Amino acid sequence: MKSIQIYDPAMCCSTGVCGPDIDPVLPAVAGMLHQLAGHGVHVERYNLAQQPVAFARNPKVRAVLETGGTAALPMIFIDGELELQGRYPEQPERAAWMKRAREANTAGVAE
Amino acid sequence: MVLHSQPVGRLLDGAPRYLFFTGKGGVGKTSIASAAALALSESGRRTLLVSTDPASNLDEVLGLELAREARAVPGADHLFALNINPEAAAAAYREKVVGPMRGMLPEAALREMEEQLSGACTMEIAAFDEFTAFLGGAGAGDYDHIVFDTAPTGHTLRLMALSQAWTTFFNENTSGNSCLGPLAGLEKQRSLYAEAVEVLKEPEKTRVVLVSRAQRAALREARRTWKELGDLGIANQSLALNGWFEPAHADDPVSRHWLERQSRAIDEESDFLRSLPLYRAPLLPSNLIGMDVLRAFFRYPESAMETAVPVNTAEASAPALPGLDELADRLAPAGRGVILTMGKGGVGKTTVAAALGLALAERGANVRLSTTDPAAHLADAFGDTHGGMDIERIDPKAETRAYVAEVLAQQPADMDPDSRALLEEDLRSPCTEEIAVFRAFARTVAKGEDGFVVLDTAPTGHTLLLLDATQSYHRELGRQSRTTKHSEAIEKLLPRLRDPGFTRVLLVTLPEATPVHEAAALQADLRRAEIEPYAWIINQSMAEVDTREPVLAARGRAEVPYIREVVDSHAAGPVYSIPWSTVDPVGRDGLASLLRAEV
Repeated sequence: MKSIQIYDPAMCCSTGVCGPDIDPVLPAVAGMLHQLAGHGVHVERYNLAQQPVAFARNPKVRAVLETGGTAALPMIFIDGELELQGRYPEQPERAAWMKRAREANTAGVAE
Repeated sequence: MVLHSQPVGRLLDGAPRYLFFTGKGGVGKTSIASAAALALSESGRRTLLVSTDPASNLDEVLGLELAREARAVPGADHLFALNINPEAAAAAYREKVVGPMRGMLPEAALREMEEQLSGACTMEIAAFDEFTAFLGGAGAGDYDHIVFDTAPTGHTLRLMALSQAWTTFFNENTSGNSCLGPLAGLEKQRSLYAEAVEVLKEPEKTRVVLVSRAQRAALREARRTWKELGDLGIANQSLALNGWFEPAHADDPVSRHWLERQSRAIDEESDFLRSLPLYRAPLLPSNLIGMDVLRAFFRYPESAMETAVPVNTAEASAPALPGLDELADRLAPAGRGVILTMGKGGVGKTTVAAALGLALAERGANVRLSTTDPAAHLADAFGDTHGGMDIERIDPKAETRAYVAEVLAQQPADMDPDSRALLEEDLRSPCTEEIAVFRAFARTVAKGEDGFVVLDTAPTGHTLLLLDATQSYHRELGRQSRTTKHSEAIEKLLPRLRDPGFTRVLLVTLPEATPVHEAAALQADLRRAEIEPYAWIINQSMAEVDTREPVLAARGRAEVPYIREVVDSHAAGPVYSIPWSTVDPVGRDGLASLLRAEV
């Protein structure tokens, strides 16, 4: 894994604490991204309310938004491929991604 | 104590470039700020008057429709004025972000962005952004003096404290994943915020004038502000005591009580009053509206000023209105529901809520009295007696601590340190307190299912923010329900507030021009949110009181047109009246004295 891009729905903040109730997956995802970055993965995260230009510039994101509306958010791309849409990764998925990142990192060192 | 004070005209001696007037609502800070700005301009100094108060009545005082851009005030050379409307500022900010995306993103995405940028956070941030422009940025222009007629104290403090919190946040935030969502577009201006904070602290650049009346609650508020601003490093502070009363008939019972109350308030705060320069302005027979009256305020000695301000000689009598006890008789049979006392800060919402709660409890109802007023006047109003009610305070600081603890407790025990650090960073955001208070408000309203809940709400602007937040959260629920669960209290909040059989909004006002007009504006805002006020309450009416004291009697006569205006033009339902009382509205007996229509 070299890169991950997350296109969030319009949110006040990336951990979701600014809503009337917290979605526990959000802090977990934020933490995972932080760790991925620590393994050398290039992390980009865009919030519709804050960085709309990033959404508009990405043709894939625009295409999915046109058909699926904002229910298709979040969209998560790994190495440029759309990996997940409409929800955040559950614990097993997060673990699998972390594993991929560690392996890629180790492989990179071995080369 | 012997009060060492100077006439209010001396307030401007050695005035620095920036002057802030702050104080509890209804103490006359708009009048004094306007008079000060006019006096500065008439000494040949180019002066700008800036209103940042969401409930500003500067338009009325100056006879000029204020805009976001500075306008020359008619009838005055060198004087300019403008109004920073937080809602308009937020709308402009929203458009700056969303506008360029039109045609580039689908309509649904644009709507979602707009919703997210409609919250309380965006409004505060946008208003603060404009505010700082005058302190360090281009807005200051070539003005010799900039006079701020600031918002009620809590709001002012938040604006000022935020500038520090944000500066700290920008300096310390290393995660690169900022939670300060709506701030993202402003981050490039961080040097401007830092500069604004520095300007506020420099005594040769900035003076803060605390405006107060010689009344207990107003002086306590002033003392709190003085302390909090002092802790923020703002050293150059003065106090203007407005409405200083010197009786012509010391034997008149109303004069005597008025004077006693004034002396007691002064004695109680003697330490505070010795700590900073004091200026006094006399109690006048009518409000300061119009340029001639404003001019007299700073220019003439006190004795001459009293004659310069026109006395209302209309010999009309006030319409006979029922008292609070009759309102309690009407409400009691329902046995449950939410009663909200709303109005501009300083009109007595807390006192009215406490008195009505007491009356309902005396009629055998189950009553919970609760306050979201950041200044927490409830304990003051009630003394030690609970009068058979449950009393609860929504303390913003405590609510925030509890909310943060709750959020952290929800996280898995093995949460990695990075995730926890990030979450804690987000919980330091200015939004967190708004959310915490909102949740407490929703919780309290839900308790109205089991008995009466009487809530005195926060000052007008804050109240509207709460209601606005309520609505935007409801919109958000529709969107987020697929991922999160929400408490029943929050989901049912707006339907409950809109149900006339459940929620009764009482608009509280004083029988004076500005409070009446602001209550009318509040009513219009409530109606936009599909909430219809149940009744109006005219508090502290001097019109119904018999006194020989000329200035007080004149003030009583001056009230009559405003009482008529409420009855004839504003109230759709009944209007109740509470006469000015010679008993302090503190404790059970004091509050009970407000219920009956006797003086």
